[in-house]
Amino acid sequence: MLKTEELQINIGPQHPSTHGVFRMLVTVDGETLVDLKPVFGYLHRNHEQLGEVNTYLQNMPFTDRLDYFNSMVNNHAYARTIETLAGVEVPERAQYIRVIMDELSRILNHATAMGFMLGDMGAWQTALLWGMREREKILDMFEYVSGARMMCNYCRFGGVVRDIDDWFITELKKLMQGLPHYFDDFEGLLLNSEILLARARNIGVLPKDLALAYSVTGPVLRGSGVAYDIRKAEPYAVYDRFKFKVPVGTVGDVYDRFLVRIAEMRESYKILEQALEQLPDATGGFINPKVKQQSLKAPAGEAYARVESPKGELGFYVVSDGTGSAYRYKVRAPSFINLSALADMCKGYTIADVVVILGSIDIVMGEVDR
Amino acid sequence: MALLARGELRSILQTELPNVLDSRWDTQATDQAEAHGEGQTVLLDFDAVVKAEAIVEVAHFVRDKFGYDLLSNITAVDYLNHGIIELVYQFYNAAEAGPDLRVRVRIGRSPEECIVPSLTPTWPGADLQEREAYDMYGVVFPGHPNLARIYMWDEFKGFPMRKDFPKTGDKYTHVTGE
Amino acid sequence: MTLSHLATEDVFVVERNDADFRAGQGMTKGLGIVFRKFRKALFGKPNSDRADTEGQFNVQYPEERLAMPEAYRNMPILLYDDATGHELCTSCFQCERICPPQVIHITQAKDPATGKPVPAAAKFVLEYDTCMSCGYCAEVCPFDAIKMDHDFELSTANHPELDVDYNRLLRPVSYYETIAPTMWSDVKEQAMKKLQNNIKRRPGDIGRDHGQKIKGGAPVAAAATPAAGAAPAAGAAKPRGPVAAIGKNMSEDKTAKLLAIRAANAAKRGGGAADAAPVAQAAPVAEAVAAAPAAASAAPTGPVAAIGQNMSEDKRAKLEAIRAAKRAERGE
Repeated sequence: MLKTEELQINIGPQHPSTHGVFRMLVTVDGETLVDLKPVFGYLHRNHEQLGEVNTYLQNMPFTDRLDYFNSMVNNHAYARTIETLAGVEVPERAQYIRVIMDELSRILNHATAMGFMLGDMGAWQTALLWGMREREKILDMFEYVSGARMMCNYCRFGGVVRDIDDWFITELKKLMQGLPHYFDDFEGLLLNSEILLARARNIGVLPKDLALAYSVTGPVLRGSGVAYDIRKAEPYAVYDRFKFKVPVGTVGDVYDRFLVRIAEMRESYKILEQALEQLPDATGGFINPKVKQQSLKAPAGEAYARVESPKGELGFYVVSDGTGSAYRYKVRAPSFINLSALADMCKGYTIADVVVILGSIDIVMGEVDR
Repeated sequence: MALLARGELRSILQTELPNVLDSRWDTQATDQAEAHGEGQTVLLDFDAVVKAEAIVEVAHFVRDKFGYDLLSNITAVDYLNHGIIELVYQFYNAAEAGPDLRVRVRIGRSPEECIVPSLTPTWPGADLQEREAYDMYGVVFPGHPNLARIYMWDEFKGFPMRKDFPKTGDKYTHVTGE
Repeated sequence: MTLSHLATEDVFVVERNDADFRAGQGMTKGLGIVFRKFRKALFGKPNSDRADTEGQFNVQYPEERLAMPEAYRNMPILLYDDATGHELCTSCFQCERICPPQVIHITQAKDPATGKPVPAAAKFVLEYDTCMSCGYCAEVCPFDAIKMDHDFELSTANHPELDVDYNRLLRPVSYYETIAPTMWSDVKEQAMKKLQNNIKRRPGDIGRDHGQKIKGGAPVAAAATPAAGAAPAAGAAKPRGPVAAIGKNMSEDKTAKLLAIRAANAAKRGGGAADAAPVAQAAPVAEAVAAAPAAASAAPTGPVAAIGQNMSEDKRAKLEAIRAAKRAERGE
């Protein structure tokens, strides 16, 4: 009589497929996964406490380090929260610039996230490097406007730190000439590949009602078939002026999340086109000159502002006691909360699927551990 | 299924579920921002403050009656001057979108009082957030399947995000509360 | 589920390929694209146009370099005027206050005759290792004295070396002009005007020649050959100040310097009860550090001896820490 025994394995914290210092304590029965416990804290930097010690402006560069792929989006979310708290008006041009940066971030994030996920599946390097190539082009442009590729520190309260100029717009137009080719190539490369279909279809299924109960947001929620996009649900900045669609999946498996992300990149491209068209001229300014950036004091109260980050709902909950720094500063990090669904998504699949499912959630540990 | 304006839930709860509201905060039902000077902690009350033991009931109520099915965010705030810890639950209506619905729970800071029933059995998405509130603020959630520290190591004593946790030195073990 | 906030035309369902498995047609198609790209990369020209998605994209880094945009920020540097050697910094402490990781430490210069503060910094220490390159110091500086450098090749095996002071921070205005011409021309006029006003209020040599004097001559200006161009020769002079002279006892130097700064700050605050403890701890270390170079050096150790007998213990410890730091700076 064959006797089987359950076995506990640690995947991570130092493991190439865990996308950072993340540990999964998995219980396996043969190849099949029985239980999974995520273990956090290896990158914990007490970000929220730092937010209570720093002044509002000082905290802006720290938000870069949350989701370090999308520092522009983090800056936007944080600036929006403090603007809501302090009642700061943002000039229209700055809103457009922020939207452009957000959508560029979304493209670069999805391009690399999908590349990493395909790398986890075994599509070694090609898909990833094509994504990296597009990302590099975008990061160069970020570097030009903000001074840094990844730690942009670009938004200020009531605007952005530096206006975009003709060079940026010319280069953005050039970039956008190339982007559709990239989307087509990327889809043609792997979309119908038998290996991808075998590894992604009906793997890591997260049904619609379970997705809502798990509070997941972003492409993971939309992949499960819930058309919930903050850009539509609670439009911020100038998103209500653009025409774009919300892609949703039907099954909620890895394949749907993959398709949703590709479709989102195409929608981002549409938003970029419209934003460039509508971009107001520089007369309105790119920053509200009345705001005292360094000594900004918000009246006592609380504010929560959220944006649709490429990974989901990124929100900052800030309580002010009337001084120059936050009394309570909480980050609603999308990849952290999306991870709570990981165990349920993985149960019953093989251990090789776990890394693919994790890749399809698209986590960044800087944001998970904060 | 309808969207609620801010503060509307309070009056609805008064008529529909009169026992769930925390009566301690009835008298401070308005925004008191002006009353708080510089450097003071604030307590703002335009939202429903419910009793800790009623949070599960209220969460189900807003989900089933008004469609607020997406529990997005749980924030613990330590109001040291008032001697309370506040938990802010933010719900969203995924079908109708719109702004969030905030439900609050206010509990004492001592270990005997710092207890809120867990929402994890119904909203498994609350799992990690409740563990975070436990790790950082010492809020205990009975009913949580695995209430362990999440960021700090298991042997850590004290709750580092509480306002009376010393910010300097390595004598973190001196903190009371555990 | 009804989605009343979204019109139906705003949502679309992604198209799934639910076909049964075939004999590798999908893979063949993908490989075709890869092959096309491969051919282009082999025979195509290297390209840097953003519209291109084919061809070679590599930059062979140490030999080839991409041009840095002007706004690029890596580490802060301090500017001084080429003509007079006067530093633009007036020690207004704006950067020290805004710095999110609190890595800037400034000591204000004092007029030796009157003891009054002078608009110049006596000491300026920046911890490069903890600096997060946010650029706030350059943003808030009202005198345009602190700017962000473009040099990113700062890796070193000697960690304490990243605790930089005037030796490595100072760059001539002409250097900054080469790396960020338009950004400098925007502020040049007012910066220079402010500098002239400040020079008037600086007696003697205060606020001048910090870098050169310590190294006995021109090294800062010489070493600061701009390398901001697109492709400097491999291994060419990098724009960094002289650091080589600092010896093996660097870690002690760092301790001494940091202690000196803390002691000086404590002294500035009036040295209350709270400050007494760290200073008392600092004293033995500072003494040990002070003793080592003093024994090795041929120069008389006069200053240590000259500390009065009737001074309080605290004050003596502070003074010794400061002097140890100064000796360390002179390279003894």
